[in-house]
Amino acid sequence: MSQDNRKAISFAYDVTLLFPVLFLVGIGIVMVYSSSSALAMKKYGNDYYFLEKQLYFAMAGIIALVICRYIPFRVYHYLAYVFLSLAIILLIAVQFSGIAYSAGGAQRWLRVMGVSFQPSEFARFAMIIYLAYSLQKKRDNIRVFSIGFMPHVVVLALLAVLILMQPDFGSVAILCALTWIMLFAGGVKFLHLLSGLLVILPAGYYVLFSSAYRIKRLMSYLDPWQYPANEGYQIIHSLMAFGTGGIWGSGIGKGYQKLFYLPEPHTDFIFSVIGEELGLWGVLIILLLYLLLLWRGIIIAKNTEDLFGSLLALGLTIAIGLQVSVNMGVTLGLLPTKGLTLPFLSYGGSSLLVNMACIGILMNVGAIKTK
Amino acid sequence: MKRMRQQQRLEQEPPRIKWRIVLTGLFLTALYLAVGTKAVFLHVVQGPLLSQKAARQYQKSMVTQGKRGTIYDSRLQEMAVSIDTTSIAAYPGAVSAPQETAQALAKILKLNPTRLKKKLSAKRSFVWIKRNVPPKDVEAVKALSLAGVGFIPEHARVYPNRTLAAQVIGFSGIDGQGLEGLEFFYNDHLKGHAVKQIVMTDALGRGFDAERKILSDYSGGNIILTIDRSIQYIAETALAEAATTHCANSGMAIVMAPKTGAILAMAHFPLFNPNAHGEYKRDLWRNRAITDPFEPGSTMKIFIAAGAIDSGVCTPNTVFYCEEGRYRVGRNVVHDTHPYGRLTLNDIVKYSSNIGILKIAEAMGRNALYANLKTFGFGEKTGIECPGETGGLLTAANRWTRIDMGTIAFGQGVSVSAIQMVMATAAIANDGILMQPRIVKALTDNNGSLLQTFEPRKIRDVIAPETARTIRTIMSSVTEEGGTGEKAAVDGYTVCGKTGTAQKIDASGTYAKGKYVSSFIGLAPCDNPEIVVLVILDEPKTNHYGGLVAAPAFSKIASETLNYLNITPEEKLQPDWNRRMTIAKMTEAEME
Repeated sequence: MSQDNRKAISFAYDVTLLFPVLFLVGIGIVMVYSSSSALAMKKYGNDYYFLEKQLYFAMAGIIALVICRYIPFRVYHYLAYVFLSLAIILLIAVQFSGIAYSAGGAQRWLRVMGVSFQPSEFARFAMIIYLAYSLQKKRDNIRVFSIGFMPHVVVLALLAVLILMQPDFGSVAILCALTWIMLFAGGVKFLHLLSGLLVILPAGYYVLFSSAYRIKRLMSYLDPWQYPANEGYQIIHSLMAFGTGGIWGSGIGKGYQKLFYLPEPHTDFIFSVIGEELGLWGVLIILLLYLLLLWRGIIIAKNTEDLFGSLLALGLTIAIGLQVSVNMGVTLGLLPTKGLTLPFLSYGGSSLLVNMACIGILMNVGAIKTK
Repeated sequence: MKRMRQQQRLEQEPPRIKWRIVLTGLFLTALYLAVGTKAVFLHVVQGPLLSQKAARQYQKSMVTQGKRGTIYDSRLQEMAVSIDTTSIAAYPGAVSAPQETAQALAKILKLNPTRLKKKLSAKRSFVWIKRNVPPKDVEAVKALSLAGVGFIPEHARVYPNRTLAAQVIGFSGIDGQGLEGLEFFYNDHLKGHAVKQIVMTDALGRGFDAERKILSDYSGGNIILTIDRSIQYIAETALAEAATTHCANSGMAIVMAPKTGAILAMAHFPLFNPNAHGEYKRDLWRNRAITDPFEPGSTMKIFIAAGAIDSGVCTPNTVFYCEEGRYRVGRNVVHDTHPYGRLTLNDIVKYSSNIGILKIAEAMGRNALYANLKTFGFGEKTGIECPGETGGLLTAANRWTRIDMGTIAFGQGVSVSAIQMVMATAAIANDGILMQPRIVKALTDNNGSLLQTFEPRKIRDVIAPETARTIRTIMSSVTEEGGTGEKAAVDGYTVCGKTGTAQKIDASGTYAKGKYVSSFIGLAPCDNPEIVVLVILDEPKTNHYGGLVAAPAFSKIASETLNYLNITPEEKLQPDWNRRMTIAKMTEAEME
């Protein structure tokens, strides 16, 4: 039996993963240029400004993907606590240190060597590794509340509080959902998870209504047309972009909403620009690519015998899937506005780099096959 | 047993985890489906509505006034032109920082920042900030790329000759509407059509992608005047000189081509600058030669004489007794400036005897006198293409008293407009044919092709050609030595003329002492008149006799105009080249 389960490592690239990722990055580069050229012209006097940087990041991303493809995923197993500690240090650093800088009223960014990145993104990655490690280690007693559930929630709470101090409610929401899903997949008793929800929901409710700007965002989410000039402005223009696009779109480069109507058309609202310029078919093709990515990740997670590898693959897949859903949900008016980018498509160095590295790790996990 | 169950559970675990992994995938797929459904809903179901709303955001419909047409003089030199300018406006909804925007704009455009801020935060979709901004300032504002500030192409009216013919041409307001003069009268022809333009703007209110229609398609037509810029300048200069020398309140001068009725110059004093009309008193704006009636005084005598001769009542040599300067008519006494005894009709006109002309009028009878004045066009509007024309005042003959008839004969108790006086005189110059006075020669469309030309139009025969020639002979004696208008003589040409000095009626309705309207009407050359010139000075202070005040200005205008028109001198063919050259140079230099 054990001989039949021999492990073999494939060195080929997983085309089902590679194809959608490269396709998305390619579309992303085109759409980043289309959506940012006017802004870049105004801000920097060079309409290629964001395009050039995105091209460099894409190349760096591919390199990161290749490197991660060949790093045995087991390495992360030993680094779980190192990463977790580093994440906590970075989250504290972003609060207090001078290297942090704020954008849009929130202090979320660290700038390292000219590249700004969000510690909360790294924290998410650390959390995935920690959960995969911890759930695998405790697999025998996973259904015990104090072992299978409680410690993870404590770690989550620590990270969540630190991220909320920035404040970055969106990242916390994704982190919570991600943790919940990983605990669920890792075999934690469903009853415990339900009890967790009972705690999280009032807490979430409190956090939601404790800040005036979140209330405004929520109100504008419920009826954006009531606040066309301020809180509802972004979402209204995003909806208009989709509506204008129709089925076939207005054509690449021919959209209007990116011309300073949509805030951050090349990052948070790139999907709206795609909706306007590529239309419904473009939106559905992109959705299909993400779906392909999602199921490839799910299948890798399902087929991996190693529980750590399986949970790691699941966590990475879910993290991307959740961010895709939330970003698209926001642009389509399904969710309140959050400052989240669309993986592979949005402009942004660190997020592209991290996401492509994640795909590399996913490939590495998927390369171990059961014969 | 317990171990067995634990063993079993351990073996069951992997399938359960795999099952949960697939469930997770299904959950996220559901999220994607929700996204896809909403996308279909937005793109397909709400698409038309949303795109309409979006269009309303970035399509700004602007009404642009097409360019106003040009006014040319008879030689197609520009008298009024519209130039392209830029106006600065704001879309308050798109202004992100009213305070900063207001301050930045106020600094460049020299406006009040507080008032500007109020404008920028107004609940309106569009406000003007400043109209017709100089290019330098426009560039400065553009460089700031302020959100919600827009640049609107507009047109500004410019009068390149400044004060020249200001009262005739008038001016138009900032919105391209003619307000005075020909600008007002021909507004419908001159004004550009309003064009509704859809301008695409980004959220900063900056226009983009606008396939700007060529505005000339929408610009108004042009008009070509009969006025000649050079003659106008000659008339204005001479008039201003006379008015200044004699300290007159105001003055007018008209030059007309008698054969066609074309007005070559219509000068006013004082002038105003239509480029800055707001800085002048309103009553300077109107074309007084058309709108203001005045009592003509003795210039009227030539028409009485013409009527008397034409109707056969008398000949130039018929003698009348002039009562030695004092003649009682009912309770009134009529005076002559110099006492005369017996004078021929010819001399009555030459020496301008009131008593003599009164007797001629009495010989004609009131109805014939009235009909005679009517046929010369008095008491009726000429129909010239200028706004606010007066018909003068000529009461019906059956309401005249005896003294009324007498004073009307020497131009008091009757009022005329300057244009009527010129038109009637032109009939004498034109062998008795009354021509329609014209100030516009042609109308063209915005491409310059002719739409309409105004040909010389005969109104009627007023007197027989011989009568006209006779009257001209009589009038030529006025400018000869010893006549009242000898100062009107022009070197090289024969000149016919008549002086006029009318006492003004003051506010109380009686004739005011020391307030006169002094005038001179004349034509040249006598045999084949090419020009008729009228000079009127209101309340000259140094002297009030038309022969002393207005005749010299007439002489200057007539002499320079005849030179300019290349009318061959009749006698003493010694063209004074130097003088002519200086005039030409002066004219050119000062016109620029």
